[in-house]
Amino acid sequence: MLKRLEEKDFLCLLERIAERWQLLVPQRMSDGSRLLLPWQGGLPVLAGPPLQRKPTEVFFPQLELLLELDDAGGVALPNPPEKPPALLGLDHLDLAGIAFLDRFFLSPPTDDAYLRRRRGALLVGVSGLAGAQGETLPPLEGECDLELILAPDGLLAHPHTARGTELLEGFAEAAPDKLAALDRNATELLPEILLKAARLLQEERVPEDFWEEIAARCIACGGCNFACPTCSCFGVQDRTFGKRTERSRLWDSCQLDAFMREASGHNPLGTETLRTRRRIYHKLVADPLRWGEPGCVACGRCDRACPTGIGMFALCEELVRTCDRHGS
Amino acid sequence: MTAPASLYAPRPCRLLTVSGLTPQEKLFRLQLVDGSSLGHQPGQFIQLSIPGLTEAPISVANSPTRGTVFELAVRRAGRLTGALHKLAPGALIGIRGPFGRPFQLDALRGKQLLLIAGGCGLAPLRSLIQYCQDRPEEFAAVHILYGARSPADLLFKDDLAAWQRSERLDCRYTVDRIPADSCYDGETGLLPRLLSQLELDPANCSAVLVGPPPMYRPVIAELRRLGLSGERRIMLSLERQMRCGVGKCGHCSIEHLTCCSDGPVFWLEEVEALRGAL
Ligand SMILES: Cc1cc2nc3c(=O)[nH]c(=O)nc-3n(C[C@H](O)[C@H](O)[C@H](O)COP(=O)(O)OP(=O)(O)OC[C@H]3O[C@@H](n4cnc5c(N)ncnc54)[C@H](O)[C@@H]3O)c2cc1C
Ligand code: SF4
Ligand code: SF4
Ligand code: FES
Repeated sequence: MLKRLEEKDFLCLLERIAERWQLLVPQRMSDGSRLLLPWQGGLPVLAGPPLQRKPTEVFFPQLELLLELDDAGGVALPNPPEKPPALLGLDHLDLAGIAFLDRFFLSPPTDDAYLRRRRGALLVGVSGLAGAQGETLPPLEGECDLELILAPDGLLAHPHTARGTELLEGFAEAAPDKLAALDRNATELLPEILLKAARLLQEERVPEDFWEEIAARCIACGGCNFACPTCSCFGVQDRTFGKRTERSRLWDSCQLDAFMREASGHNPLGTETLRTRRRIYHKLVADPLRWGEPGCVACGRCDRACPTGIGMFALCEELVRTCDRHGS
Repeated sequence: MTAPASLYAPRPCRLLTVSGLTPQEKLFRLQLVDGSSLGHQPGQFIQLSIPGLTEAPISVANSPTRGTVFELAVRRAGRLTGALHKLAPGALIGIRGPFGRPFQLDALRGKQLLLIAGGCGLAPLRSLIQYCQDRPEEFAAVHILYGARSPADLLFKDDLAAWQRSERLDCRYTVDRIPADSCYDGETGLLPRLLSQLELDPANCSAVLVGPPPMYRPVIAELRRLGLSGERRIMLSLERQMRCGVGKCGHCSIEHLTCCSDGPVFWLEEVEALRGAL
């Protein structure tokens, strides 16, 4: 049921959430960007540019302790957080990224390290007039517990799960026509340019020298992968303190030469050309084959991160142009 | 402390014996500390864990038909395998697994088998060879073809001799080159040469290949020439960098496949068209 939230109601909702969850909300940095940070009271910044860092890092952090080993063969696992996290202010792309990682890490065999952080987490989405320039963000489906809707005349809230309903108890109902002023049409996740590029890749119509040209610009910084909400690759490292060893995992990047290099020296991704093709092919062709969905949610973070302008969108635009030229 | 339920938690194993195979390779016999059997099938691997040095994927080199002790043949390649080579019997190490898709025994039963190994590839194949020895009624004939770089690099020399003596097995091996001071008087030349010596019934024959990457294409070409065409005739085991062994870390992907869990054993037709697979 749709609710109307006055400012005091919204603060009350935040308090309700913070009682049971570790609440993270979007806050504005001095450079104008927004980050998800622990709520310290006050109103979150619901509208604005996409969250600077990928929200999926709450469940799959850059560096994460997997377990501790001792000399006698003993293994100890880290404790789950005291309170599960609540992520507030996620748009449809953020939620699609979380849904993708959920499917990846929780499908059998379940990744218990991911589950430890993900279990019991609350997702609060945002839609309506919350875009960077006040544009309308599309409505949300069941991927969040509760949806905040920025309508022209105030904040509305719509629950999607039992937990969402419970959190909204007692707030004033809003007439459904409050939504009438908003464009509530769902949008396709992938923009046309990425769909086109995916088709060309699938049909093996991308000339080899295209990849060479693009790869020559890559400086192998890994930024595209580290910014990407659906990238899930990790390496493993040990650190030993006396008789105790901490085994952790940390984000890895398929754009780095050592990513697939084997101890024998054999390297199936031994050139930047192969690695650049893989980054795009994996998301646009391999992931749909494996998971039924592309591994790109079109959030644009890799384009903002890449210092040489070959993120997903820029690359796909060039790819489609090149193939058009070849085709004609 | 009881072992917690985690994909990433190694189980403690006791190192029972260590024996030298070549100057670079040793055979390690191990048993789980709780006495249980590993529960592997030929072709599967484990993640070997040494605190401080993370983990490495290693194939199980003996057959599950041989009891609860399991064997690993390990080449000294770097930090972890180097540390393993220094361990003495009695040491504790960790393992996870067994992992991966094993050799598809159902598809091999009743067939004339070509078991083809290059270099370290004999380790996983030895598990299948022992299985064939212990279940002779399941297979029509078993040919073992093995290639190593030099006589000193031949793995499992005692096994090779015993397999050659065995009436049930046909075992042939070759080396790429013989150093001047060697008293080796066996075959030389590359693996495909051994194949051309065989009398095959191509309609009832299946091949299993495990070896270094440069081995696959020439051997496959020779098998095709001998008449092994069509689906489910050639099975191969691929190596990749592996960090997790359970399909999560991404290091072993081959296009849309994941070598550690979709493989490491594949039918040729599953991977042949995939970029970078062979
Ligand atoms: C399925 C499978 C079965 C195998 N079976 C056997 C077997 O039976 N016997 C055998 O001897 N070998 C086997 N291997 C090979 C064996 O796993 C390697 O030789 C072993 O991992 C080497 O480990 P190391 O730490 O000693 O070597 P190192 O050279 O110290 O490290 C090699 C490993 O460390 C990681 N690594 C290396 N460099 C980097 C870097 N720059 N950045 C990040 N990570 C890096 C990679 O995981 C790499 O595989 C198998 C491999 C696979 C995939
Ligand atoms: S746009 Fe880039 S960062 Fe965003 S999901 Fe796609 S590949 Fe990842
Ligand atoms: S961000 Fe750009 S330059 Fe850096 S690794 Fe990715 S593609 Fe290469
Ligand atoms: S080894 Fe991690 S995904 Fe295969």
